[in-house]
Amino acid sequence: AQGATGMLQQGMQGVTQQFSQMGMGGTPQPQQAQQPPATQMRLNPLQPVDISVQGQPFHVTDLDQPPPPIILPPNSSVTPSPHANCPPKYVRSTLNAMPTTASLLKKSKIPFALIIQPYAALHDAEDDVPVQYDQVIARCRRCRTYMNPFASFLDHSHRWRCNMCNLTNDVPQSFDWDSVKQQSVDRWQRPELNYAVSEFVAPQEYMVRAPQPLIYLFLFDVSHAGVTSGLLATAARCILESLDRIPNADRRTRLGFMAVDSSLHYFSIPRDGGENNDARMLVVSDLDEPFLPTPEDLLVNLTECRANIESFLGKLQSMFANAQTASSAMGSALRAGHKLISHVGGKIVVLSASLPNVGYGKLEMREDKKLLGTSKENSLLQTQSSFYKSFAVECSKTQVSIDMFLFSAQYQDVASLSNLPRYTGGQTYFYPAWNAARTEDAIKFATEFSDYLSSEIGLEAVLRVRTTTGLRPSAFYGNFFNRSSDLCAFPAMPRDQAYVVEIAIDESITKAFACLQVGVLHTTCNGERRIRVMTLSIPTTQSLAEVYASADQQAITAYFAHKAVERALSSGLDAARDAVQSKMVELLQTYKKELGGGNMGGGGLQFPANMRAMPMLFLGLMKNLGLRKSAQIPTDLRSAALCLLSTLPLPLLMQYIYPRLYSLHDMPDDAGLPHPETGAIVMPPPLNLTSQNIVPYGLYLIDDGQTQFLWLGRDAVPALINDVFGYEDKNQLKQGKTTLPVIDSDMNERVRAVVDKSKDHKGKGCGSIIVPPLYLIREDGEPSLRLWAQTLLIEDRADQGVSGAQFIGMLREKVLS
Amino acid sequence: EQWGEIEERDGVRLSWNTFPSSRMEASRLVVPIGALYTPLKERAEGAPLLPYEPVTCKAPCRAVLNPFCQVDMRARIWICPFCLQRNNLPPHYKDISENQIPPELHPSSTTIEYRLSRPAPTPPTFVFVVDTCQEEDSLKALKDSIILSLSLLPPHALVGLITYGTMAHVHELGYTECAKAYVFRGNKDYSAKQVQEMLGLAMAPGARPGGQQMQPQPGRPGVPPIGGAQARFLLPVQQCEFQLTNVLESLQKDPWPVANDRRSIRCTGVALSVAVGLLETSFQNSGARVMLFTGGPATEGPGMVVGPELKEQIRSHHDIDRDNIKYYKKALKFYDGLAKRAAHNGHIIDIFAGCLDQVGLLEMKGLPDSTGGHIILTDSFTASMYKQSFAKIFDTDAEGNLAMGFNASLEVLTTKELKVTGLIGHAVSLNKKSSSVGETECGIGNTCSWKMCSIDPAASYAIYFEIAGQGGPAAASMAQGPQKGLIQFLTYYQHSAGQYHLRVTTVGRNMSGPSGDPALAQSFDQEAAAVLMSRIAVFKAEVDDGPDVLRWVDRMLIRLCSRFAEYRKDDPSSFRLEKNFTLYPQFMFHLRRSQFLQVFNNSPDETAFYRHVLNHEDVSNSLIMIQPTLDSYTFDQDGAVPVLLDSTSIQPQTILLLDSYFHILIFHGETMAEWRKAGYHDMEGYENFKELLEAPKEDARELIQDRFPLPRFIVCDAGGSQARFLLAKLNPSTTHTSTAGYGGVAQTAQTIFTDDVSLQTFMDHLMKLAVSGTG
Ligand SMILES: [Zn+2]
Ligand SMILES: [Zn+2]
Repeated sequence: AQGATGMLQQGMQGVTQQFSQMGMGGTPQPQQAQQPPATQMRLNPLQPVDISVQGQPFHVTDLDQPPPPIILPPNSSVTPSPHANCPPKYVRSTLNAMPTTASLLKKSKIPFALIIQPYAALHDAEDDVPVQYDQVIARCRRCRTYMNPFASFLDHSHRWRCNMCNLTNDVPQSFDWDSVKQQSVDRWQRPELNYAVSEFVAPQEYMVRAPQPLIYLFLFDVSHAGVTSGLLATAARCILESLDRIPNADRRTRLGFMAVDSSLHYFSIPRDGGENNDARMLVVSDLDEPFLPTPEDLLVNLTECRANIESFLGKLQSMFANAQTASSAMGSALRAGHKLISHVGGKIVVLSASLPNVGYGKLEMREDKKLLGTSKENSLLQTQSSFYKSFAVECSKTQVSIDMFLFSAQYQDVASLSNLPRYTGGQTYFYPAWNAARTEDAIKFATEFSDYLSSEIGLEAVLRVRTTTGLRPSAFYGNFFNRSSDLCAFPAMPRDQAYVVEIAIDESITKAFACLQVGVLHTTCNGERRIRVMTLSIPTTQSLAEVYASADQQAITAYFAHKAVERALSSGLDAARDAVQSKMVELLQTYKKELGGGNMGGGGLQFPANMRAMPMLFLGLMKNLGLRKSAQIPTDLRSAALCLLSTLPLPLLMQYIYPRLYSLHDMPDDAGLPHPETGAIVMPPPLNLTSQNIVPYGLYLIDDGQTQFLWLGRDAVPALINDVFGYEDKNQLKQGKTTLPVIDSDMNERVRAVVDKSKDHKGKGCGSIIVPPLYLIREDGEPSLRLWAQTLLIEDRADQGVSGAQFIGMLREKVLS
Repeated sequence: EQWGEIEERDGVRLSWNTFPSSRMEASRLVVPIGALYTPLKERAEGAPLLPYEPVTCKAPCRAVLNPFCQVDMRARIWICPFCLQRNNLPPHYKDISENQIPPELHPSSTTIEYRLSRPAPTPPTFVFVVDTCQEEDSLKALKDSIILSLSLLPPHALVGLITYGTMAHVHELGYTECAKAYVFRGNKDYSAKQVQEMLGLAMAPGARPGGQQMQPQPGRPGVPPIGGAQARFLLPVQQCEFQLTNVLESLQKDPWPVANDRRSIRCTGVALSVAVGLLETSFQNSGARVMLFTGGPATEGPGMVVGPELKEQIRSHHDIDRDNIKYYKKALKFYDGLAKRAAHNGHIIDIFAGCLDQVGLLEMKGLPDSTGGHIILTDSFTASMYKQSFAKIFDTDAEGNLAMGFNASLEVLTTKELKVTGLIGHAVSLNKKSSSVGETECGIGNTCSWKMCSIDPAASYAIYFEIAGQGGPAAASMAQGPQKGLIQFLTYYQHSAGQYHLRVTTVGRNMSGPSGDPALAQSFDQEAAAVLMSRIAVFKAEVDDGPDVLRWVDRMLIRLCSRFAEYRKDDPSSFRLEKNFTLYPQFMFHLRRSQFLQVFNNSPDETAFYRHVLNHEDVSNSLIMIQPTLDSYTFDQDGAVPVLLDSTSIQPQTILLLDSYFHILIFHGETMAEWRKAGYHDMEGYENFKELLEAPKEDARELIQDRFPLPRFIVCDAGGSQARFLLAKLNPSTTHTSTAGYGGVAQTAQTIFTDDVSLQTFMDHLMKLAVSGTG
């Protein structure tokens, strides 16, 4: 009977549980038709400003503002919890008030998309999400939505109504009963009713097989480049020292090691305490059909073989001390590695300083400096061998994820190699011309790699977005494989990436607010099957003004960053930049045309205050390393930048597009010192990225999250130099990659504190292993370094790009014309 | 024995010790002129070893100065008897005189050995190829025996290790950071080039094999090999003994799972091909042995001889006869190809099998046959027969050097009357043409020179000759005493001590006078002739059908008897043979019944093994194989008494000792067995019985002493199942002849003898046919 009721309801007009209260809704027919209350609600008001130079132009601090608030009708959620709606840290909508119709959305020219970041830190300890352990999971029978704070209860709380599709479902019998403690529970204390972001421990039926253990298979490049750069030694030592950090709470974690030059080197590591505790090396040179040389001991339990793994890692470097080979059969090694772990799944960690030039997926050295900056450059950004995508898809199907740590000083074809992480939920980490002999390089990689190994990644994960009826996830962006129309597959889910899901409006939404639920079914690295559920509710509106007033400029920029990458790879860099610029023009034109903005006279240009940063963010995007017009950018650097643009969590993405500039020589007195209350280092006020903010005698920090530049003006006084660096003579300073010395001076201490604080990504509400290297730039020093740093001053006019003011002027012209 | 002394000195036995002077005469001899030559025969007093280079005739003759040469002491000139050229003696021979002649001219120096100044390119090299698909105990015993053998090798000998099962592993013994091995798939046919590339032995600097272009990377050197095979895979035993012993000791059974109804996956073919490929790179024409230790048949990849399913049985002679053999031809082709390569490179392949079933020796036999490798067939590597035989390979000579020579060549020179027609034995042709090469071909012919990758003191080769002369006036005119026909055998080989040696044997025999010279018949060595004919018969049997070969043996025997017996035509009772012919028919009788020609009581592997051994041994050992010896022990006599190899020799109160070379069997007659079972020998007053029981055992021990491979030792009683080994060898004089056994020759008009007839019946037939002149 209930089922029939549910079916009937589907045909009925949508109903909002506007007045639902705790324990209310016991009557069989509570769903009387009610008018959408949208008109009664006051959403964010439009605040037009003149964004031109003479008006109230964008200031970098705009980027520190939270997105426009999500204003929901009162009592939208079933509990009064302040955590009932999803915080922007996890899911950020481009629109915090969404149009009720597709036509209004189309008219707005603003995309409707979610920026999803399932994890806010590398470790659970820093990202506390409530967990429901009792394995009682209430889900809608029809749309499979998970119980969430926006569901409603009726029929004496025996039934609940799905906030997505309105179906009435039975509340599970044990919903109010703790079978472990054998006592009743207060339903209203359940995490899923109080927290928009919570996790369920999944019961048996969520598993196709026993939860897989955490598996890391390391592929070391032992060609000449891999060994002489110190990569092998550093990586081995780092793994050795990080063995305790690799998640292994269930003592099931397994490790495997392979080395690659023109042959594949397998290592068979015996269990601890046997007769023979030494690893054996088995070399396979048959690259056509890589195979496993032994069925045993290639993938070993970290706990059971700990001592032997340690001794193996200790010896690894000396095993290849005589590396001479210039070939790398990494493609074949990947195939072999896949063979080794595909029956379980897991992570393949590639550490390579070479172009794979033999065996499967062998690549040519195709980069030609003459092509850079021309339309022919585009082909270099595309993959060279179909192997990398097809193999990645194969990996995805078998729960194998690949991370690429790339180190070459020569062309390594990041464009082709990055396909492997792209489709398997992995990441491409690029360390161009890395050399362990440079302390900064060694420390950066070792720190990052150790954090990487410690990261509590998820395994065999799938992500799905469920929505209020009438909405539909229509496009997906990020590193995963889109297995079916709405399912994103992640053999491993990292904790330092974000994803973009675009939402289409298929039917007019009559509810006052719409819900979007992101579910991530995954296995934790401790062998637990879990579902992370993130439920976001957004008010609906028929007013374009309210749509604009609630637009999240950073989320919108993130969306267009993904679109631009997609465009760059398919149609080229020019097309990608043009699209970004046209979009900006289109938004301004739409705003002018539909909401009466535009010319404010005297050269002004009107736009809502909450969208004021967009032109500069878009300009930053166009001037980013990945997209900038230039004949100087090596293809690998570009490709790596494109990888970042399409994976970085939103806060880091914003910084990558619009870097931070701090003036250090004239910091306020409290800057660079711990805040008296919070203890956090107080940062100097950030500055817009223009050389007008840079004086010749100053010292500045420019930080895009990936690289830090310490800019020393040409007229910097010796006292400043001495206070910061310990030398009076700036000619004694080491330019380029460097480490700030620790000297006994307040200034030095404060500068270091600011630099370190800026490096620290933890406080930004997202996971990241990146430790930006620090470059010392002397304004009157090495010109190439100076020019590089200046490319980050995106409001400046540069080589082939317009200044911020010129850009606004040009936009204005287009809008008015 | 009149020929024994010569054999003792020169290691040569000839079928005819007088050479016929005409082609016609020669053709009437029936048994070809042949020599069974044991080049490195150890002499009781030791071979004279000259530490200098030999004096040789001008090119292309190159004959070595020998006692048959005419030397003009004053003019210091010698005349080469082979090409009749005059050569000057070298200056340092200036002091020679009639009373002071150099050793090589001494009449007793028909065999002499030179130690040449040319050093061997590398020390002797040993590559152990070890099958790991074995029961733990057998593998353990095998490992122990190999480890033990390391101490038997000279310290500078190079050793390498390849192990295999599902895959083949080449162990890099020169790598000391950890145990390291290169792994090859078991199911892929790797070319020599691939093997070398995959082992990193064939890389040219800067270029990857396969033609891939490398990124030009300044500051990065090309790809010089990390070290040749000698630094990585084949190292002096003194240098890598520790590493190798460790690897061997930690060697485990092949780890790949094997279902109950399946055989282990064993890639013998790939392992061997990798071994051959490894040596091929940097050890061409330097002495090396690949020692294959296999625990079963190849079931994977090239060279597989049976599928992995147990329900599929390995081929038998019947299957081969019926052409019902799935893998045979492919495998044969594969191994023959390997054999050719190994022989070309001068590398030996030994096969040691420790398996109750066959291992595919039939398919693999080309490897030891062409390279002179050893074969040991045994049920398990735990067997003492294996252990002792294997250890025997490393026997040393009086100087403590390994009694094995490598990479030898044997060249035959003849005076113009004689031409060489071929060689049967473990050698391959070097395709060298000379004026000594005959028109016809017997065995491996059309050459005067052969290559023996391995040569040991027992290795004996059958070499056949024809007569070139037409006889007549030319021959007769040189009537100053009997003309001599000369043969010179020049054996170059890599001595295990490190230099090359040259062994020179010069054989001179009188040419017969005018036709009908009785000296010809008197010069017949029936034992040598039997062995030489056996080799031809076996050689034929490898290509021809069994019945054809038997018919050929019969025909030749009848013709020989027709030619040399005395008889009145069509009167068998008048048939008489000279003393030096009387045993020959018996030898042929036993040859016909032997495992060499009657294959159906043995597995194809056994047949291959028996034939291999026959082709290696000298006259006396071969005769034992053809016609085993039988000794009887009883109370009435002192020690062993030879008895007829006849079923009548089985008596209740005797103990028999049978030596068939491959088996040594003690057989207790019925009464003897009963007494022994009753334990009389342990009772007081029966010491003589105890002694009687011991006597054959002691004699058997003596026999086993010098034999290689060690024979199987069987002790059995009358009526016991093991007694079949004895019965199979005995002349069935007391049984009826109508057997339905294997190999029976169909009774057709052409058939002369039925099988398994008694010797008496055989002789009756022979005499009847010989005197009728129908042979
Ligand atoms: Zn639903
Ligand atoms: Zn001559």
